[in-house]
Order: sequence, then C-alpha cells, then structure tokens
Amino acid sequence: MFLINCPYCGERDQSEFSAGGEAHIVRPKQPTELSDDQWAEFLFMRKNIKGVQFERWNHAHGCRKWFNMIRDTSNDKIHAVYKMGEKPPTK
Amino acid sequence: MLNYNSPIKDSKNYSEIKISEVETTAKINLRGKNRDFITKVGKELSIIPPTDPNTSSGNDSLNILWLSPDEWLIYSNNKIDQKNINDLEDRLYNSISKVKIGSVSNVTDHWVMINLKGAKVYELLSAGCPFNFNKFKNLKGAVTQTLINHTDVIIHNKNNNDLNIFVRRSFSNHLWSWMNDSAKFI
Repeated sequence: MFLINCPYCGERDQSEFSAGGEAHIVRPKQPTELSDDQWAEFLFMRKNIKGVQFERWNHAHGCRKWFNMIRDTSNDKIHAVYKMGEKPPTK
Repeated sequence: MLNYNSPIKDSKNYSEIKISEVETTAKINLRGKNRDFITKVGKELSIIPPTDPNTSSGNDSLNILWLSPDEWLIYSNNKIDQKNINDLEDRLYNSISKVKIGSVSNVTDHWVMINLKGAKVYELLSAGCPFNFNKFKNLKGAVTQTLINHTDVIIHNKNNNDLNIFVRRSFSNHLWSWMNDSAKFI
C-alpha cells in the first residue's frame, strides 16, 4: 500500500487508483504499413523492469482522470506525477 | 419521464450517529471546459461552479460540487418535486447542451443521497474508507470522491459533523447495510 499524489485531487490511497501500464508509447502513424510483428510489438509488448518506470495511472475512484507517474517498481517510491500531455520532469 | 422510487426509505439513530436517506433531491451532472460554460451556469443558477479541487459552492436551494476539472454535480438542499427537477434540467439543457458548450445529465435517479449526522460520523467512515478525513472535517463545503467499504461515493461536508453521501443506486442497499452494521459497534 502506498499514497499517490493525484495531480487534480491531491494525496490519496493507492486503492482509489488503477494502473494503466507503460506511458509514452507512441501509436504508429501508418498502422497499415506495419508488419504483423511490428503491430504486435506496439500493441502488446511492454517493459516490465525492476527499477524506475514511466507509467500511466487512472484515479478510478476519484476524479477519473488519467495521469503519468514515474515510479520505482522495486520499492514503490514515486519520483514524479504529471498530467497527460505534459513532458516528464527531467530531474 | 422519471418516476423516483427510493430504494431505502429509512432513518436510523445510534449513539451519536444518525443515518437517514434524503428523498427526491434534484441531482444534475454538468460537464464542460471553457469559460463560456462556467459563465452560463453562473447565469442560470446564480452560483459559479467551483474550480478549486475538492470544494463546493452553493446557496439556500442548490449546491454545486467539484468532481473533476471538467465535471460538477448539482444537488438541491430540499425535497423537490418532479416538475421542478425537469424545469431545472430544461433551463440548463437549453443554455448549455443545446448550444454545445457542455453537457447536462439528470442523474436524480442515479445517485441516492444518505445524510450522516453526529459526533461519531468520521469514526464510522474511517472504519471502511481509505480517505484521510483530518483536514476534510474542518473544511465546511469540502467534497471528496472515495470508497467506503469498496463502494464508490461522493462525500459533501455540509456542516460540522453533518455529511451528505452520494452512492450509486444499485450499491445503496449494500452501503446502507454496512453503515448500520458498523454504527452498532462505534
């Protein structure tokens, strides 16, 4: 269990949120020109690293807004939280 | 046409906690983003939708609760008949939805409003809620959306130890039972 600082509502318990997987995956501009392998790579393949990871989260039981989070998966330490469309903090 | 039929129709008293369902208050959901939307709502209701998170604004008859940066819930303080709910919805629909600056949904039947009063209301909620009420209980008009015993709720701090809780109709009996069970042990 850990606390997440929703960029809209403030600090809330993790149980109010749902994880939405890896962040900043860019949709291919011309999906029809991709091979099946390339499409599957975009659609299904995700990093699952032990360490600092960029993730999408949704405040499902609160404001229902999506946002991004930089989290260390090994100890759940949250390095930054930022809104959708914003660039990740550099530090 | 809506035909409101309350799923609970009950009121219970425990030591320092009173739990009661409040019937037929108008509830309308508003969604919009631009400045024009805020102005139109303010003009129609004489209340400006709050833009600060977890807050509300209101007057003698209506409250507007902040739900997210582009969503608000309006509810009436007092029991209101069906015709007045429809009139309110029509007024908002004509000035907002019809001109496509936002959306207006009548959610009177969607949400059930439960009122909690008494010195131990926060002890009751803390028994099944992950939210930290320390700051919330001192802020009159504060709003939060959270979980109570795994059920989604909107909580409005109406006054000192006087809360209105909105729960989805299909979960209302479950939450009602949980509250009554828990209140017996507090």
